[in-house]
Amino acid sequence: MTAYLLRRTGQALVVVFGVMVLTFVMIHLVPGSAARASLGTRATAERIALFNAANGLDRPLAAQFVSFVQQAAEGNFGTSYSLHQPVSTLIAQRLPRDGVLLGLSTLLALSVALPMGIFQAVRRGRVADHVLTVVSFVLYSMPDFFFALLLVAVFSVQLHLLPSQAPQAESVAGILADPRALVLPVVTLTLVSVAGFSRYMRSSAIGTLAQEYVQVARSKGLPERLVLRRHVLRNSLLPVVTVLGLSAPTVVAGAVIAESVFNYPGMGLLFFQAATSKDYPVMLGSTLVVGVATVIGSLLADIAYSLLDPRIRYVDA
Amino acid sequence: MPPLLEVRNLTTHIRTRRGTVRAVDDVSFTLEAGETLGLVGESGCGKSMTGLSLMGLLPPGGAMVGDSSVALDGRELVGLPERDLRRVRGNDIAMVFQDPMTSLDPTKTIGHQVAEGVLLHRGCSRAEAADRAAEVLGLVGLPHPRERLKDYPHQLSGGLRQRVLIAMALANEPRVLIADEPTTALDVTIQAQILALLADLRARLGMAMILITHDMGVTAGHTDRVNVMYAGRIAESTGTDRLFHGMRHPYTQSLLASVPRLDQDPGKELPTIPGMPPDLTDPPGGCRFAGRCRYATDRCRTDEPELTGSDQHRYACWHPTDGPLPPSATAAVPRATEAAAPAVHDRPLLEARGLVREFPVRGARIPGRGRRVVHALSGVSLELAPGETFGLVGESGCGKTTLGRLLVGLDRPDTGTVTLDGTDLGLLRGRELRRRRRDLQMMFQDPFSSLDPRMRVGGILREPLQIQGIGTAREQKARVAELLAEVGLPERGAELYPHEFSGGQRQRIGLARALALTPKLIVADEPVSALDVSVRAQVLNLMNRLQASHGLSYIVISHDLAVVRYLADRIGVMYLGRMVEVGSADDIHLRAAHPYTAGLLKAVPVPDPQLERAKLGTGISGELPSPVDPPSGCRFRTRCPLARERCADEEPALRLFGAGHTAACHFPLQQPLPDTPAKAATDASA
Amino acid sequence: MAAFVRNRRALVGLGMVAVIAAFCFIGPLLYRTDQVTVRLDLANLPPGTGNPLGTDASGYDVLGRMMAGGRSSLELGFAVALTTTVIGTLYGAVAGYLGGIVDAVMMRVIDTFLAIPGIVLLLIMVSMITPTLWSIVLLLSLLSWLGAARLVRGEVLALRTREFVLAARMMGGTGGRIVLRHLVPNAAGVIIVSGTFTIADSILTLSALSFLGLGLPPPHADWGTMLSAGLNSLYDGYWWLVYPPALILITTVVAFNLIGDAVHDALDVRQQRP
Repeated sequence: MTAYLLRRTGQALVVVFGVMVLTFVMIHLVPGSAARASLGTRATAERIALFNAANGLDRPLAAQFVSFVQQAAEGNFGTSYSLHQPVSTLIAQRLPRDGVLLGLSTLLALSVALPMGIFQAVRRGRVADHVLTVVSFVLYSMPDFFFALLLVAVFSVQLHLLPSQAPQAESVAGILADPRALVLPVVTLTLVSVAGFSRYMRSSAIGTLAQEYVQVARSKGLPERLVLRRHVLRNSLLPVVTVLGLSAPTVVAGAVIAESVFNYPGMGLLFFQAATSKDYPVMLGSTLVVGVATVIGSLLADIAYSLLDPRIRYVDA
Repeated sequence: MPPLLEVRNLTTHIRTRRGTVRAVDDVSFTLEAGETLGLVGESGCGKSMTGLSLMGLLPPGGAMVGDSSVALDGRELVGLPERDLRRVRGNDIAMVFQDPMTSLDPTKTIGHQVAEGVLLHRGCSRAEAADRAAEVLGLVGLPHPRERLKDYPHQLSGGLRQRVLIAMALANEPRVLIADEPTTALDVTIQAQILALLADLRARLGMAMILITHDMGVTAGHTDRVNVMYAGRIAESTGTDRLFHGMRHPYTQSLLASVPRLDQDPGKELPTIPGMPPDLTDPPGGCRFAGRCRYATDRCRTDEPELTGSDQHRYACWHPTDGPLPPSATAAVPRATEAAAPAVHDRPLLEARGLVREFPVRGARIPGRGRRVVHALSGVSLELAPGETFGLVGESGCGKTTLGRLLVGLDRPDTGTVTLDGTDLGLLRGRELRRRRRDLQMMFQDPFSSLDPRMRVGGILREPLQIQGIGTAREQKARVAELLAEVGLPERGAELYPHEFSGGQRQRIGLARALALTPKLIVADEPVSALDVSVRAQVLNLMNRLQASHGLSYIVISHDLAVVRYLADRIGVMYLGRMVEVGSADDIHLRAAHPYTAGLLKAVPVPDPQLERAKLGTGISGELPSPVDPPSGCRFRTRCPLARERCADEEPALRLFGAGHTAACHFPLQQPLPDTPAKAATDASA
Repeated sequence: MAAFVRNRRALVGLGMVAVIAAFCFIGPLLYRTDQVTVRLDLANLPPGTGNPLGTDASGYDVLGRMMAGGRSSLELGFAVALTTTVIGTLYGAVAGYLGGIVDAVMMRVIDTFLAIPGIVLLLIMVSMITPTLWSIVLLLSLLSWLGAARLVRGEVLALRTREFVLAARMMGGTGGRIVLRHLVPNAAGVIIVSGTFTIADSILTLSALSFLGLGLPPPHADWGTMLSAGLNSLYDGYWWLVYPPALILITTVVAFNLIGDAVHDALDVRQQRP
């Protein structure tokens, strides 16, 4: 397993470097855009040149890239044009809040989707399977923002059950102290993920159920419930774990929408506001952080996979 | 007292989208304690479905219908509530499945999987179940069972996994063991070991056993009575000896006759069974075998024969035969090599010298341990005369497929050369190599993956001509028709897709494609091992006929010694990347010098009960060592009954045992010719 | 393809797509509306005679606008799916067929792009250039070919060890021939699946961009813009600005997903029983 993990980590480092190159290239895609964004579109050429010199934007690209990498490694992404705070501080404030939102909703989504997928696989082709299939298709096909606003319309505006705005507290503890306000954003993100995960689990479980070892387990006299729990669940989980790692970007995309609908002060909202105000340092800093987080996420998924699958765990033991 | 197991009027239907498949139709038999009943037939005849019906483990849509009855010790199992049935399953009746690679849960330890059934049925503690698991794993011959309880299935070889599966089935000392093709996925050497193990356990535990198999040799050696099944029904049912020597059903007769045997006269065509088994969604009226039967009359096509005869011998046939077919009356095909003796050619068609091929072990470059490699081929040489057929045999993992790929230029050796007609293939590159490919063609094993499913057969057969730029479009079309005729397929077959053909027909298409470029050599890698017995004979006959008419050379790679014996003039026996013995077919079969060759031959089951039972021992013990760390000296020494110290220290050289007969052994079974240095021996083998 | 025709789910999906396409492309010929002139005097009229589904804040007829919006949405979806499929198929097939170092490098490039969520890249791009229909098609394509390439590569990796590919090499077939004649046609199922899912995803992504205010600029209409504009006035009781576009948008996406899923299942069956 060590060899596998070493190789996998090596790949992840290559990808992190790639993400840096990509973000760096994007800043320089439109020359002078950073200055214009900061100084306004009517800024004079002299002021732009001054700005570029002050920010080191007039140096050769290679040199700029080296200092970009150096600064990024130190966690220095510059200062926000619009919020006038170090980007690293802004990100450090918001990242834990996303941990709460995305962690909760992913956990919830998995605990609904996995049993649902297996249930559908067992009942394949029967009424319950068809009904759940239709439900997950509709959920999957709904624009996230529409779904979120629909929930607000029903549960906040009509029924007055839940607040329409997410908790605004600074700290994680403060956010958790207001669970009612957390319900709608978490439910939105959960249900959107449930649809995708349960489809994967269903097709994976259908594949597992056709395996010979499932028949062997039955031939031992094992009740179906135990066959599912002991032999089908873990084997069907394996491909889903990989999908989970790959779905990190989708989850983040959902977060951008959900955070702007519910005004949840996380990375998604920060990024969105930065994009609308052309706040480049914030955009690039958060892109880099999100990219690295995604790489780590899929690396973690692969580690989980290798722990779940003894064929990888014991390959060179 | 009722028999241990009594099956009456068992009828199993499976509802599918295409209609209801009558997989098992009115099958009745009994089984007594301590006996082994064989269920024999080709794929799709209902033998596996009979086994699954007894276990109550039918696939979705499957059900036992009518007055089907399965009684264990007088207790009816059909219609029993699932709860009660589960107490029988794995406890009173247990099953061993075919494929040891897919039958074990990859995420659970073998200890867990064996103990699971014990825990379930015996209501004992976990520790007791683990003890029992270690005990049965020891019983089935797993070395150091207690230490291996924590092993995962992928850490074991196929043979050991099959032993684990048997241990799982035996854990609760069932009274009936159903073994569904338990050795089909294994090498002959391991097959012999597993079958001996099953026989020994049956005797020791006093179980009754149902052995489901398609292999007449396995049937001959390991059953007391046999039910021959055809198209879901029992065609013939009798004692094993009587079945082989006094069969009454023409199907049994043809089935036995179409199996190539080691003592077969290779000059004779194999008798074949024409056509295919009927579609069980709509079985024909009358006798189901009538369409393929040489004795069929109008009555067979309209009236269905009942099982008749005495209790000792029942058969369902209107025109019963009496005993086996006389030796084939079909005229012998003159073999190319007999017409033109190979010694006449001063230059071989193909010459391989000192081929070495090593593959790095996947993904495991651990710092400090260096690069680990699989030694697939370690210095193999061979020569092939024009028109000759060379057979390559050996257990899986011996390097025969790697050698085949090197010989046709699909892969390149690390060192060594392959020379075709005086041209070194290793020096050819790009366009030149692609042009040269027309002389070398390959016939593949799997008829389902060797033809592009998205191309029509006409396109498949034209493709080699298009690539090599041979002929105009019209000429190519004519050539396609010619090729189809040559392999016995209708011309309109060109318009069809591969999936519209049966396995045997696809294998013919594969052969036609190989012939399209009129090659000098065809390498056939396991050409018939994916086919049913009756179809196998058709393809083998065709290969022989085409060789004679085209003056082709073949290299036939097969794990089946009888197939190689039937096709080959000379045979090479491979072991762990080395050629251990080369000789004429008779040298190998009658005068084997290497103990490995002798053991391999002994392990091949022969379709003759007397011969099979007279065998002592199983041929070769143990399993193939890892090709990553092959044993020093003679690689076979770890499994050789004759091995001595010298075998570990010194690598044996090839020595000459007769004209063209060489073997590499320090203590051979035959007397070598005096003082022949290795080099001379290799040269003489030409 | 026989399995495809027999598949009811796929047929339902195809039927839905056909109806919606007819609505968007043939509908405007039968039901003519003015989608250019802003008429604030006719703004936010409830459904009634003349305007079966009412009018929006600019006084455009909602039914007519749904037709016009559907055209942009469908055209965009198809355009993205087409470019994506071509690029992704070639990239994936080449990576899978060549293997080794080339494959490793090509896959790391994909991993890099996939590491950054598509919407984040889109927002960055859109914040730098002014979006037009074609620039958005280009941007969406740049993001969606990654998934297609991965899928095709996986399929080609599995296919390239099949014996018919060896047979083609044995005849002297070149790499290009093997990729185009054998690998790509056999990966067709996967390619169709990825293409249909891409259409659905592109329509959804466009609507998300519209919601974030970075979608197609006016006077372009698309379902996402209509929906997000309507949602702003949901609490004013202008339900006709929300539910009709939502319904048609979701139905369209469901339809494409149904087709993709059905083809995917049909392929699975084939793989289980060769």
